[in-house]
Amino acid sequence: MSFARFLTKRLLQGAFVVWGVVTIVFGLRVIAPGDPANVLLPPDVDPEVRRQVVADLGLDEPLHVQYWEFISGIPVGDLGTSLTTGTEVTARVARSIPATLELAVAATVVAVIIAIPLGVVSATNRHEAPDYGATLFSLAGISTPNFWLGVMLIIILSVQLNWFPTSQRAIGLPAVLTFLFSGELEAAGAGFVTWLWYITLPAITLGTYFTALITRLTRSGMLDELGKTYVRASRAKGLPESLVRYRHVLRNTLIPIITVVGLQLGTLIGGAVITEFVFDWPGLGQVLINSINSRDWPMVQGSLIVISVGFVVVNIVVDTLYSYVNPRVGFDG
Amino acid sequence: MSRESPGERDVTPNAGRDSTRERDASPRAHRDTGHERDRLRVENLTTRFFTEEGQVNAVESVSFDVREDEILGIVGESGSGKSVTALSAIDLIESPGRVTDGEVWLREPDLAEEFRERTPDAVDGDFVDLRRLPKGVRRSLRGPKFSMIFQDPMSSFNPSLTVGEQIAEAVEVQRRASANPRSTRSRTQGYGLGKLIVDTLVPGREYTSDASRERAIELLEQVGIPDPVERADEYPHQFSGGMLQRAMVAQALAGEPDVLFADEPTTALDVTIQAQILDLLRDIQRDRGMSVVLITHDLGVIARMCDRVGVMYAGEVVERGSLADVFEQPTHPYTQGLLGSIPDVEDPAPRLQPIEGNVPNLVDSEMPDRCYFADRCPKAMEACLERPAERPVDGDPDHTARCVLADGEYDPATALPDDYFEEDPEATDAPAEGGAADD
Amino acid sequence: MISELFGWLFARLPFGDGLRGLVSPRTVRSLKRGLNRNALAKVGIVVVVIVLLVAVFAPLVAPDKPGTQNLEEARLPPLGFTKATVQEVPVQENGSVVFEDGEILTENRTVYENATIAHPLGTDGNGRDILSRLIYGARVSLLVGFLGTALAMFVGVSVGLVAGYYRGKVDDVLMRSADVMLAFPSIVLAIALIGVLGDSLEQSIPDPFVQSGLSEAVRSAIGLPTGMPETTTLPGTIIVVVALVNWVWFARVARGEALSLREQSYVKAARALGASDAKILARHVLPNAITPILVLGTIQIAAIILLESALSFLGFSSANVSWGFDIALGRQYQSTAWWIAAMPGLAIVITVVGLNLVGDWLRDALDPGIEGEGGV
Repeated sequence: MSFARFLTKRLLQGAFVVWGVVTIVFGLRVIAPGDPANVLLPPDVDPEVRRQVVADLGLDEPLHVQYWEFISGIPVGDLGTSLTTGTEVTARVARSIPATLELAVAATVVAVIIAIPLGVVSATNRHEAPDYGATLFSLAGISTPNFWLGVMLIIILSVQLNWFPTSQRAIGLPAVLTFLFSGELEAAGAGFVTWLWYITLPAITLGTYFTALITRLTRSGMLDELGKTYVRASRAKGLPESLVRYRHVLRNTLIPIITVVGLQLGTLIGGAVITEFVFDWPGLGQVLINSINSRDWPMVQGSLIVISVGFVVVNIVVDTLYSYVNPRVGFDG
Repeated sequence: MSRESPGERDVTPNAGRDSTRERDASPRAHRDTGHERDRLRVENLTTRFFTEEGQVNAVESVSFDVREDEILGIVGESGSGKSVTALSAIDLIESPGRVTDGEVWLREPDLAEEFRERTPDAVDGDFVDLRRLPKGVRRSLRGPKFSMIFQDPMSSFNPSLTVGEQIAEAVEVQRRASANPRSTRSRTQGYGLGKLIVDTLVPGREYTSDASRERAIELLEQVGIPDPVERADEYPHQFSGGMLQRAMVAQALAGEPDVLFADEPTTALDVTIQAQILDLLRDIQRDRGMSVVLITHDLGVIARMCDRVGVMYAGEVVERGSLADVFEQPTHPYTQGLLGSIPDVEDPAPRLQPIEGNVPNLVDSEMPDRCYFADRCPKAMEACLERPAERPVDGDPDHTARCVLADGEYDPATALPDDYFEEDPEATDAPAEGGAADD
Repeated sequence: MISELFGWLFARLPFGDGLRGLVSPRTVRSLKRGLNRNALAKVGIVVVVIVLLVAVFAPLVAPDKPGTQNLEEARLPPLGFTKATVQEVPVQENGSVVFEDGEILTENRTVYENATIAHPLGTDGNGRDILSRLIYGARVSLLVGFLGTALAMFVGVSVGLVAGYYRGKVDDVLMRSADVMLAFPSIVLAIALIGVLGDSLEQSIPDPFVQSGLSEAVRSAIGLPTGMPETTTLPGTIIVVVALVNWVWFARVARGEALSLREQSYVKAARALGASDAKILARHVLPNAITPILVLGTIQIAAIILLESALSFLGFSSANVSWGFDIALGRQYQSTAWWIAAMPGLAIVITVVGLNLVGDWLRDALDPGIEGEGGV
């Protein structure tokens, strides 16, 4: 299958999933108990005012009209208006995206940088101390709830040792980049250090499960590959062990890991929601949790859609990458 | 997937020359020069696997020698230890297996000179004992001294690199090593995660050089692969089994080895392709004066290809000698039975008698302290209740058997009764034909 | 012993006859071999059994009532630790306070509080015994873990079997909706669903040990405080929500099994003999698909316990004793009493490690080849 056809097919599938997501998100609001107007109005309000507010929100329309209004706004970026603050949902959500993205990317980078070498060391020193260490670490890592890890990191590293700030995001990467491109190198450098200082604990919190998982997958994948005949054949033709391990075994181990990482990105984004709550990190998860608590449905819908669509897009990218690096699959997936 | 062309054999150099050697062809005359033509002498090689089920004696005190410019056949049933013997000889046994005893003497005057002072134990004349050499040196001999091809070509290539790249890699390793011959580091060159990333991401920074890739294409051409330039860029799954086996031969030749171990090289292939691969192997062996150790369960292949042959049973070499000696005057009852189990065109009915019983499973705790074959042997005698040593047949040092009959006569008076070994509940009537695939 | 246990269990389940196929001698042998090879699996089984027993017999083993507040004893440290706090106390001379410039003269003094044997893991901000809260919290976690997994398994396996068995349009519709479900990160979907369901499904179930008077009798006999809570919260919303979030994994596995099993000759034979589809699914397909489903179930219990703790940490559960909820409470004391947040987290980690070890053992021994891990 050609690359264009593969991509078209994958994009169509993605579009279908996005439509499903949007429909479910709309449905959630419809079946949710309680009247959105109650969020805006005191309980003892004049029925006429109340009727007016309901009409303004479009809630007196038949359901299919409401659905059409909702769904037709999405392609043009109109996700409605917040019930509590009156701000545009799109603007509010867009403002929170960089914080979540920074966190997710930082966690993934931390995870990959630590996990792959750890998995390699573990697999190539099987039944020795480094292997047991890495295995215990990955077992603990996939079994530890990240919010608790975050709380404990704050208690130990922030409160007791005072090495890191306890919460919040002092500066965003976009601001650092602005400094950089406007030539204010000193400010950019200082900004970056501050950014790093603030994001370290949240990134560790979010990345630990991922690190543990990838360590585990790298180890077991490498052990699988090491048992294959081509490894023996490579040694027989005179390849040094380092070439066998890295150029052959590790490369083949990493290919399937890409898909698992893609599938687990949902977990990562979910984890970001909680991590943001723990560290008061101003991202999409904060928006979601706050708006659920205040029953601000347009905001809930907006953040849900953005999170899910982001996940769908990342998955398409990962699938494409997987087909690209794996000659056996080609673009047939 | 299959791009095998019917006429591919014609591309092979020297194809068709003397391709139908008679079964009773006499071995080429290097019996007179004997050990002077030895390239490799394996002595008392013993390999154990330490598994959860217990210790498995896969190879039990095996000795054989490989001479210049010959094909040595090793034949035996599945599980008789043929493959493990080859892997042990070239140091490719992996955990939980370990070579526990024995010597592997390789004729290598340069190394002998280098180690004569340092480790006199490891040197005997022009020969060095691989097992006493440092690990790095041992490893550096794979490629230029030994190479090996395996049964299933599809699983013996890395599925995610092109065939050309994998052959070029084998060339490149030797090229780098010979560019810097004094340093064993140059061949154990550190290739780590960083280099892998650079290799993958930066174009033009691959491990292999253009020269190596050209050499790979040459090798592909030499083993008779049509359109080698195009095929070098294809992945293993785009090759047919026969073509891929040719490519594996090319890969094994990349380091110009002196001794090539071929482990069931045709078992996984169609019958029509098998003959082509065997012809290719023999042509290449003759052109290069290589030694080939051909491991197979197929007596037909042995008869057609080999100069000398070793017969393995239960991890031991039970009989070895020239093809004519072993095939025409088999001494060990197992060899006799094995030969009897293939139909013979000239002399059909009388010799066709399968050996009764099963190959022992080689678990140490279950191995009896007697001749391993006694329980299946039609000529078992009281003398067989002791472990027989390898002894010359009728005083001929080039034809030996691990059997009391080698220098004695069958004595019906001391024959063991038929039900002597019947406490073994596993004994079934499965005929032991060397038919099933190894491993 | 394990085989007897399985045999006993499956003889009492619906489809018992078919399920006994799971405990074929070969399965039992590979399970035993896995257990012998893997000492960690034994640790996992022991941990899971202990946590289960503690949760079931909570009213008998808890040293104190989980809800008793005692501000006098607030924030006591766990055994082995001493808490030092700097307090401002009046300066006393000859038993009376000293005035200076019309104000009571004070000084800073370090006050040491020691652990007490009555509260081995210390007390929380309201003076409640942490160990007792952990023991009662285990009930909530395991109830949600097991019931949520059972519900998810029921829904997912039904959907998956039907999709895989009938294929065609049914399969397309069901599997595309599964794709849509997977587009939501599980915690995000769970939060949204809780927003919809509220706490409409919360239940209180009576505690048989307390109702029967057994626990009171035992406790007063050995001198423990009596008056244990008569009911246990059953967080119905959370159970339904975690099941709705996680059924997809079961559906995918069951579908895959059904797809391959429907081509087996004995299934075809049953169809040719005129057996109804329902009967074929129940008698021939399900029993043979059960191994990977049960292995996935073990892994999912761990994932659902993590999900439940996250939801209660975020304040979306109505259970007033829960490991996640207690961690959230402990955060308020992060600078003065670390153990309040630390202890419930350790309880989660130990339980989930135990379940993961059991899951690894089953997966390695039975090798069903499934994906679908989950974490928070």
